Amino acid sequence: MQLNKVGISLIAFFGLAGAAFAIVPILAGAPGQVAGIFASIGVIWVLVALGLLWYARRQKEKAAHNDWIFRQGLRGTATVLSAGSSATVNEMPLMSLRLELDVPGHGTRETKRREIMLVFAASRMEPGLVLPVYVNPQDPSEFVLVW
Amino acid sequence: MSDVQSAYGKLAGDRGLEQLGAFAPGPLTPLLVEGKGQPLEPALRGALGDEVEGVVGELAYTRNKTFRFQVALTEIPAATAFAPRVFCIRRGRSTRDDEFYGFEARHSKLWTESTALNERYEVATSPYQDPNWLRQLFSPAFVDWLGTKPPADFSFELAYGALLGSIEADDPGADGLDALCEATAHVAARIRRECEE
Repeated sequence: MQLNKVGISLIAFFGLAGAAFAIVPILAGAPGQVAGIFASIGVIWVLVALGLLWYARRQKEKAAHNDWIFRQGLRGTATVLSAGSSATVNEMPLMSLRLELDVPGHGTRETKRREIMLVFAASRMEPGLVLPVYVNPQDPSEFVLVW
Repeated sequence: MSDVQSAYGKLAGDRGLEQLGAFAPGPLTPLLVEGKGQPLEPALRGALGDEVEGVVGELAYTRNKTFRFQVALTEIPAATAFAPRVFCIRRGRSTRDDEFYGFEARHSKLWTESTALNERYEVATSPYQDPNWLRQLFSPAFVDWLGTKPPADFSFELAYGALLGSIEADDPGADGLDALCEATAHVAARIRRECEE
């Protein structure tokens, strides 16, 4: 997942509006109870913005790590054994995949993977589909699934 | 009979295409996903260009407001192994009016030296693709063609072997539909050739 323009706007909105809600009533000399209510809303909004920022940063770090595995990792294949979805995230199915990994030097093994996929990609995940994988040479249990 | 239906009728006659009435391709590409299962209607099946078979039709759907695209769909199964996703979308194109999600699936923007291409299109691919194959696909000749020859509002999406060319015109006329078919067939032929090489 990556932050998009809407995400940047949301972070800016919640951050700036939250800060304004928290500070402006106090600076304007609003009664204590009113200032307290606005400050509470403001703090919650700022926390939402910080939460989104934290998530975006985590996703960026994950992407950078996956890029490293892609560049340095061992290339193999993953055969889809089963695929299903029981939840969606931002209109995208959260896919539960059962895969058979085949990586040169590491043999074959079965593993499970949960992945948020685009709808048109999820609709292609059927048993027998073979996808490329890149396995972390330092930790073979970690892999990037190319879909 | 509406202007659009007349245009499709004329195209069917000119190109010898089969009239399907409606055609539901399923959620094969991002634009078809935005359509939320709406069928292509009217729809014609047959040759889009030299040795390229497919379906051409109108996709209309509502996401706060109504969007209309004329689309041409063909299959290039061999492309999946090289590039599961390649999107070449006209800059400024809007496909929905109800976007409120701050995070989306990761993609990579394809870098090219062509100013003309970059000014006209946003080219994106799935991450972890072979950059050499993509650079070969977007050869100077293909980039030049993309920048100058297709209809002004042309875009294409390649997703798991399904290639969808599209234009945004509400009433393109038979000539506009013909240009859409030709442009999509040209892209399909280019991708096929690169897969074979």
